[in-house]
Amino acid sequence: MPREFQRGHKAKISDLTVGTDLYVGVQITAPGLTFDISCFGLDADERLSDDRYFVFFNQPKSPEESIQLLGPQAGDTESFRITLDRIPPQIHKLSFTATLDGAGQMSQIRPGYLRIVAGGEEVARYAFSGAEFTTERAVMLGDFYLKDVWRFAAVGQGFDGGLDALLKNFGGEVAEEEAPAAPAQPQAGGAAPAFAPPAFGAPSAPAPAPHQPQPAAQGFAAPPGATPPPAPAPAPSVHGAPTIIAPLAPPGGGHVPPPAPAPAPYGQPPQQPYGQGPAPTVPMPPGYGQQPQAPQAPPGYGQPAPPPGYGQQPPFGQVPGQQGYGVPQGAPQGGAGVAAALQQFKETPTGQRWTQQNKKLIRVDLGMGGQPVLARQGSMVLYQGKVDFSYKGAGFAGRIVGGATGQEMQLMRCTGQGQVFLAENATHVHPIELQGDAICVSAENVLAFDESLQYEVRRIEGHGIPGGALFTMQFQGTGTIVVKTHGTPVVLPVTPTTFADCNAVVAWSAAAQVVVSSQVRMRRNAYPGDTGESVNLQFRGAPGNFIVVQPYEV
Amino acid sequence: MNQPLAGYAPAPVTARMENHGDHMLKVAMQTGNDLFARVGSMVAYEGFVQYEPNPPAVRQIARDWMTGEGAPLMKCTGDGLLYLADYGANVVVINLNGDGISVNATNLLAFDAHLTWGVERVKGLAKFAGQGLWNTKISGQGWVALTSRGKPIVVDCGGGEDETYVDPDALVAWSPNLKVKGKRSFKAQSLIGRGSGEAYQMAFSGQGIVVVQPSEDSTDRLRVRG
Repeated sequence: MPREFQRGHKAKISDLTVGTDLYVGVQITAPGLTFDISCFGLDADERLSDDRYFVFFNQPKSPEESIQLLGPQAGDTESFRITLDRIPPQIHKLSFTATLDGAGQMSQIRPGYLRIVAGGEEVARYAFSGAEFTTERAVMLGDFYLKDVWRFAAVGQGFDGGLDALLKNFGGEVAEEEAPAAPAQPQAGGAAPAFAPPAFGAPSAPAPAPHQPQPAAQGFAAPPGATPPPAPAPAPSVHGAPTIIAPLAPPGGGHVPPPAPAPAPYGQPPQQPYGQGPAPTVPMPPGYGQQPQAPQAPPGYGQPAPPPGYGQQPPFGQVPGQQGYGVPQGAPQGGAGVAAALQQFKETPTGQRWTQQNKKLIRVDLGMGGQPVLARQGSMVLYQGKVDFSYKGAGFAGRIVGGATGQEMQLMRCTGQGQVFLAENATHVHPIELQGDAICVSAENVLAFDESLQYEVRRIEGHGIPGGALFTMQFQGTGTIVVKTHGTPVVLPVTPTTFADCNAVVAWSAAAQVVVSSQVRMRRNAYPGDTGESVNLQFRGAPGNFIVVQPYEV
Repeated sequence: MNQPLAGYAPAPVTARMENHGDHMLKVAMQTGNDLFARVGSMVAYEGFVQYEPNPPAVRQIARDWMTGEGAPLMKCTGDGLLYLADYGANVVVINLNGDGISVNATNLLAFDAHLTWGVERVKGLAKFAGQGLWNTKISGQGWVALTSRGKPIVVDCGGGEDETYVDPDALVAWSPNLKVKGKRSFKAQSLIGRGSGEAYQMAFSGQGIVVVQPSEDSTDRLRVRG
């Protein structure tokens, strides 16, 4: 849940994350164009005084490996690993740039971003689009710069001249046109670079990590054989994993991390030492090896323990909803004033389409993905930006629901650009990302969903079900649906003997078959009005199916 | 028998107001440092605390607060520990330290009596129903406790021209220097009986924050009970 940056925004890195081992991903694409994305390590005068700190496709790391080029992965056109505390003192600024390779201009680019990921979570994102540029051929996207502490600035400044102009701007020399191999790089050898930066290249060369040929890795920029593998193997991003709808609520947690597009390998506490100084990078922190090997884990479970979004706010790093946030406020010197007291409730940084703000509040960024969202009427609590709310009939099927149950599903369609916060009656909300699979949700428990999802109403009939039948909505396709539950739900696997109260069941995987089972009880007079008949739903299905039940009987 | 409950004993006092759990407020009362609290919010107290409902000072300031009714505040004086809660709502404690905040009357739980406060009518919102209109603006050096149905969210309005729109039922508090106006968002088609359900919002602009609760239940439980 990153913080959203706009052109000109600046922030201390320490405010974004406590870690110093950062992943910087850049996505910049344009139809038919290719980009060179590079990182300039500049000195105090903003000059490229040492060519070894020009990290680009031909020189994928700086001598002490504080800046490494990792290649495209996890949706990023190019990615870097930056170890801030190993950057030598003479380097005062890291400038991330993108230059067009070949003809074209920057106005053609599609919406892209520069993002910072630390500890497996995206902590900052600067989004840009072609509309901000005109005929430029290069753009300085963002800077890490040292001013007392390391800071990040979203720059977004275009350059007319392309890479060579950019190099000249930074005081570098262009060896030959359009082939700006850094002059101090004698062995930069064409397409199969054998980059061994003079100083430390050799000792760091071993350590082909055991997991290095991960199939899911989208491939490094350079042939892996020739290079020492960049320490963190690009893990299959959680997005890459097949969706299993399961992560509705890790039992007890109730807090579902929206599947972060963050590359998983950083799911390590950022403090993991990478060896100081010249220590070889061989000893991988264990997590680097394990994380990628479980792509089948449902996205939610693949996440590291701290719930996302909260980890970034060091003083309040506790599980939401758990015991007392009173403690840090107790001491008045800890922070006085409205802003300080409310700091813990700050909006979490943006960056994804669906972001869970806390257990009971979810935010959708309509600008991302560009498609409307259908939400239950009245569930909007706040919005920013230009958002239109319009009536959306539930359609024919919806009217059947309404007619039969007396409770029509009233939807509104949110369109436009901006962020909408959705919540309803302080119920817990759970985003579920569907990737082509299907889920059945009890109609009352649907809070919102992407319009790209197809849905149909299914009707489960049975004697004793209030209203004559239970209506569920089956969602299918690619997109996110937000389910609300009263209280922390339980997710049960479907076994031969799985029953649920039809009033408490929230959702189940669509492959599970539902059977209504009635039990007639003899204690007919349990209380007035009780028919003595209790209706349960029995679920049948192959292993892997699940049901979700809330501790609340509607 | 006490063991499972032992974890809920009050923590040592470190400040004038503290949370006890998410949903309860603990106030360290001292003579001379009085407190205004919502009538009916007291759940327990230790020591010698006296309550004066509808005190003259409040009546003066809040005379037009919900016409015809007494001000829903009581003055608490004395020494001891006072526990306040509002039907299980989350409690947010703020040390103002010179800042100011404008709180929806429903969401105000307690505040130090020496703070500067006043009741104001939110401009331009006269047509809105019920409780959200009368706001308590509090500033000075001291403590304020708010309630929120569910964990609140704080949104930075970010300054500039961009407006942040909030459902009035979900609104808890905002920075007093924000510009507020009402916004009706329904269109022609929704006038014929099919609204989007979000008929009006409040629009905030300027430098400051807005606190919003994840629930549109703005029932004033303390008042409903009477």
